[in-house]
Amino acid sequence: MTHELARGSSSVPGMDRDSTLLARRLERLRALDRRLITAAELPSPAPRRAVASTDPRARAMHLAAGLGGIVEEGAGGPVVVVERATPLPMTLDGLARLPYPVDMERPLVYLDTETTGLGSAAGTLAFLVGIGRWDGASFRVRQLVLPDHADEPALLAALEAEIPADAWLVTYNGRAFDWPLLVARYRLHRRPPPVTAGHLDLLPIARQLWRHRLPDARLASVEAGVAGVRRHGDLPGALIPERYFAWLRTGRAALLADVLAHNREDIVSLGRLLGEMSERLADPERRRSAHPGDVASLARVFRRDGRQDEALTCYAEALAAWDEREPAPTRLDRDTLAAEAARLLSRSGRHAEAEAAWRALADRGGSTAIWAWIALAKHREHRARDPAGAMEAALRALRIVERRRAVGIPLHAAERDLARRLARLHRRARSDAGRVRRLT
Amino acid sequence: MRLYASATVAEVLDRLLADPAVAAAVVADRTLPARPADMRPFPDWLDARLRSGLEGRGVTGLYSHQAEAIEALRGGRDVCVVTPTASGKSLCYDLPVLQAVAEDASTRALYLFPTKALGQDQLAGFHELADAAGIEVAAAIYDGDTPAPIRQTVRAAGQVVVTNPDMLHAAILPHHTKWFQLFEQLRYIVVDEAHTYRGVFGSHVANVLRRLLRLCAHYGSAPRIITCSATIGNPGQLAETLTGRTPVLVDRNGAPAGEKRVLILNPPVVDARLGVRGSAYGLVERAAVTFLRADRQTIVFGRSRTSVELLLTRLREALREGHGPVGRVRGYRGGYLPSERRAIERGLRSGDVLGVVSTNALELGIDIGRLDAAVLAGYPGSIAATWQQIGRAGRRRELSAAVLVATSGPIDQYVAAHPEVLFEASPEEARLDPDNLHILLAHLRAAAFELPFEPGERFGAAAADDLLAFLAEDGHVRQAADGRWYWASENFPASEISLRVASPGNVLIIDTGGDRPRVVGEVDLFSAPTLVHEGAIYLHESRQYHVDRLDWDERKAYVRPVDVDHFTQAELAVTLKPLEAFASDGVPGGERVHGEVMVSSLATIYKKLRLESLENLGWGRIHLPELELHTTAYWVAVDPAAVAGWRRDELDVALVGAGRALQTVASILLMSDPRDLGLVSQVRSPHAERPVIYLYDGVPGGVGLAARLFERHAELVAGARDLVADCACDAGCPACTGPRLETGGEAKRLAGQLLSLLSGARAEIAGAPAA
Repeated sequence: MTHELARGSSSVPGMDRDSTLLARRLERLRALDRRLITAAELPSPAPRRAVASTDPRARAMHLAAGLGGIVEEGAGGPVVVVERATPLPMTLDGLARLPYPVDMERPLVYLDTETTGLGSAAGTLAFLVGIGRWDGASFRVRQLVLPDHADEPALLAALEAEIPADAWLVTYNGRAFDWPLLVARYRLHRRPPPVTAGHLDLLPIARQLWRHRLPDARLASVEAGVAGVRRHGDLPGALIPERYFAWLRTGRAALLADVLAHNREDIVSLGRLLGEMSERLADPERRRSAHPGDVASLARVFRRDGRQDEALTCYAEALAAWDEREPAPTRLDRDTLAAEAARLLSRSGRHAEAEAAWRALADRGGSTAIWAWIALAKHREHRARDPAGAMEAALRALRIVERRRAVGIPLHAAERDLARRLARLHRRARSDAGRVRRLT
Repeated sequence: MRLYASATVAEVLDRLLADPAVAAAVVADRTLPARPADMRPFPDWLDARLRSGLEGRGVTGLYSHQAEAIEALRGGRDVCVVTPTASGKSLCYDLPVLQAVAEDASTRALYLFPTKALGQDQLAGFHELADAAGIEVAAAIYDGDTPAPIRQTVRAAGQVVVTNPDMLHAAILPHHTKWFQLFEQLRYIVVDEAHTYRGVFGSHVANVLRRLLRLCAHYGSAPRIITCSATIGNPGQLAETLTGRTPVLVDRNGAPAGEKRVLILNPPVVDARLGVRGSAYGLVERAAVTFLRADRQTIVFGRSRTSVELLLTRLREALREGHGPVGRVRGYRGGYLPSERRAIERGLRSGDVLGVVSTNALELGIDIGRLDAAVLAGYPGSIAATWQQIGRAGRRRELSAAVLVATSGPIDQYVAAHPEVLFEASPEEARLDPDNLHILLAHLRAAAFELPFEPGERFGAAAADDLLAFLAEDGHVRQAADGRWYWASENFPASEISLRVASPGNVLIIDTGGDRPRVVGEVDLFSAPTLVHEGAIYLHESRQYHVDRLDWDERKAYVRPVDVDHFTQAELAVTLKPLEAFASDGVPGGERVHGEVMVSSLATIYKKLRLESLENLGWGRIHLPELELHTTAYWVAVDPAAVAGWRRDELDVALVGAGRALQTVASILLMSDPRDLGLVSQVRSPHAERPVIYLYDGVPGGVGLAARLFERHAELVAGARDLVADCACDAGCPACTGPRLETGGEAKRLAGQLLSLLSGARAEIAGAPAA
């Protein structure tokens, strides 16, 4: 009997099968996998040990030299630090007046990470943490760079030193992404994450204030639209993880230069956006030159924050700018804002002003006029004690509603409101008439 | 005249056996004796609140298996509890977990159930016990249906987290940093219904547990594992393979049971030449109706959704004729709404529902109380499943009954001819192979993603470095300067693994029958040509779908639900090349080998076969590319000298027929679906230059079936020999050597001779056909 088969161990295979058998099985699997997996799914073939040095310090030195940084010896080991300053004259004094929870007495720490992927699952890490500080004249960005997976504890230890316990973080989407990811890294290394006093995430703020005139809420778009700063040759975020893996494979520090530039731009942008907010929106004088839509957005933020006087000021400024300087994008935008202002006036007890505002809206016609007439009807019925005037206002509203329905745009909420209101006013009119008769 | 009056189980059995049609079909009639309860007092250390809570519910002590389990856990050991349905198994883990929470509120426990429904059922029971004891405990389900805000609370504060292996694998382990409180304080891991973790699924789950334990070690916890299994042949070994640790085996059931009578019925032969028997449904209906008319609670098990519906209709019609309790007989299967199912379960517990016709959906540990009789329409496919279904009938004191009616399928006929298999042989073993290279490598990627590997760190039994170096070739893993292996890719490896299939590149099955296309499942690439070719009837959760279109390049099969009386079976043109022998050994008549093989398969045609009779209703062509499967196999090489003088065509028929019989017996021995094992026979193997029968594992890399067949070669060959010799047919039939069209009229004689030769008997003795 001839056997051309390779022979493994002659006993039943156990866990101690020899490594040459495993090697042969892996070799066959390799051949098979190459056929099963399409070329697109395979990453570019990588030499197994391409990086010149395996000594952590030498590797850190190499990276620092390539990026124009230095190696700092921290508690956890060597960390590559790249530090740059960008002149940025601005004032942040106005921020305290804005309805955002930021304590100007605390140190503001601007933070942005570059990571090996999206999400905060355990296999994604931050290989670059940029920390920005503004000293009143220029913006200083310190970037902590991870030379190798093995150096992460050193980076995390160094980051702790950058974030004092009374610091306020300033980030873009940092509440949902950067900070939870860093917390996960500390958890994974079984260290407590740094404590901070607060976190100002500019993404939701940018959405509130500027999204109305921007194509999207990416930081670069917001910066371009708001501060007029356009980036040139900025590295697209989607390419960043692969740049880092390429550095790990090849040891070419230049691959990370664009990533550092991108990260530094993002951090300086955070400063610029805060500056815009402080200088253009917080100061009532400077606000006159601001985009009326931004002022309208700010009015709403003040209103939601319960700061009615400031909200009303901003409403008035935005409406005035639209009416005098540049027209609102649409008539409905303008009237909706005016209706919000009028409603807030009523709620603040400024009834005379509210009535004037509703009156002005009612005279403008259109769909907003329905609600203006209804508001006037309420005002006349309950406050001015003028049932006849209330009836008239309600009928004016009804007339518009009926016209709308005739052209196929029924307004059910308004119809229901008016039906109830008119019925009550009629009832009251009858009983008042009865009373008058009895008296005479 | 019909009888509707209530009668005892004994009276019903007498009535049933007095029926000549039933009496003629009885092939086995056994009585299992009653068993008294084996009680132990509550241990001293048990929290007083737990004790009084139990006493308040009428529980005055523990069954011996419960006491043994909790004492072993108290002693710091892992435990594997093996007891039948409704024996108070949940208390074996609920009690130690509640005790631990009572002692230290920071304690955490993780419960794993194979399905969501079981998790909900068990959580309800856990809450009842905790409430009765007045112990505050935050226990919650964490699965795909858990809303996002609640997820956060469960992560931070859930003392008992109830989930399933898929969720653990895809949502918990990769995000372990958000679960650090759980991992730091994890005291108990409960792996219930462990017998379902076999084959590919089990091999995956074993690796998920490796990952879980690795993270526990990282966070400094050393949880005990409680494995619970239904009765199978190798529960301790299963628990050991699944968890990688050696548990204390608790398999003496202390719960009481009344006497039980088990009947096996085989419908009479209607065509001796073809070995065709009458339908099983007639006898099932007769037995079930007799019990139901006597007001005895009865469960009827059908093997598919279609057979459940068919049986339900027949039973209701039969009861209606005689004005029986029609409305109190319900159906229960996969497609029913959860609320419907819960209502039926409640009805069974309260007695409002008198009869239920179910698929094996009710085989798992869902609480429906204890019934008077179980009627099984066909052998459920394994001894273990048979006992689980039979176990649904069983009062604590009175007599209960179980009736198994065989169909004409090969495995059913084997059981009918050898009823002792059911009563005396140990149940099947659950096999899994956590070291299947494909599965192991997939989970090694996920594990590296979760936490870097230390140099020399073990994953499973062996150090992982060689495998990690292999993964590093694709660049997803890298060895850093400190020697550790790190994940270095944007990919999320857990999302590339589905625990229910073996290899990547799965074919998605998309139901286009509804308002919107909906994914109903997936099959692995290697099964796709035979399972979801165009024209195939694909079965999913006992629901039938017709495959309208298979987009091979996109890996998508478009199906729509149908309800037909046939299934499809694809023919594969298979060539097999052995690559490496791991082990071999001389046996009578030749050699047995276990090794690695390459199987190239090309699906050629498919046949439409009627569900019960297996009658051929037509065929169609399949146009798909050839596939290569790299797997493990067991093979028998016949010594050419032993078959000298056989004609080549005779040898061919003998190998095919013997191979069929071996395949049937192998699936009985290994508790696997017959389709899990592929069969190839070669009259003159190009490699061994001898006649060879190969049985190969149908999953890439195999799940350990081949290794086990190699070990059990002697039983396998003897079983196949008996299957052929004892079959009621005269010259070979689908129940033994395969359909006549394939093997001709000599199959039974030739296969019988070959199998006798391989089992050590002299060929001339055992060669004569059974007249």
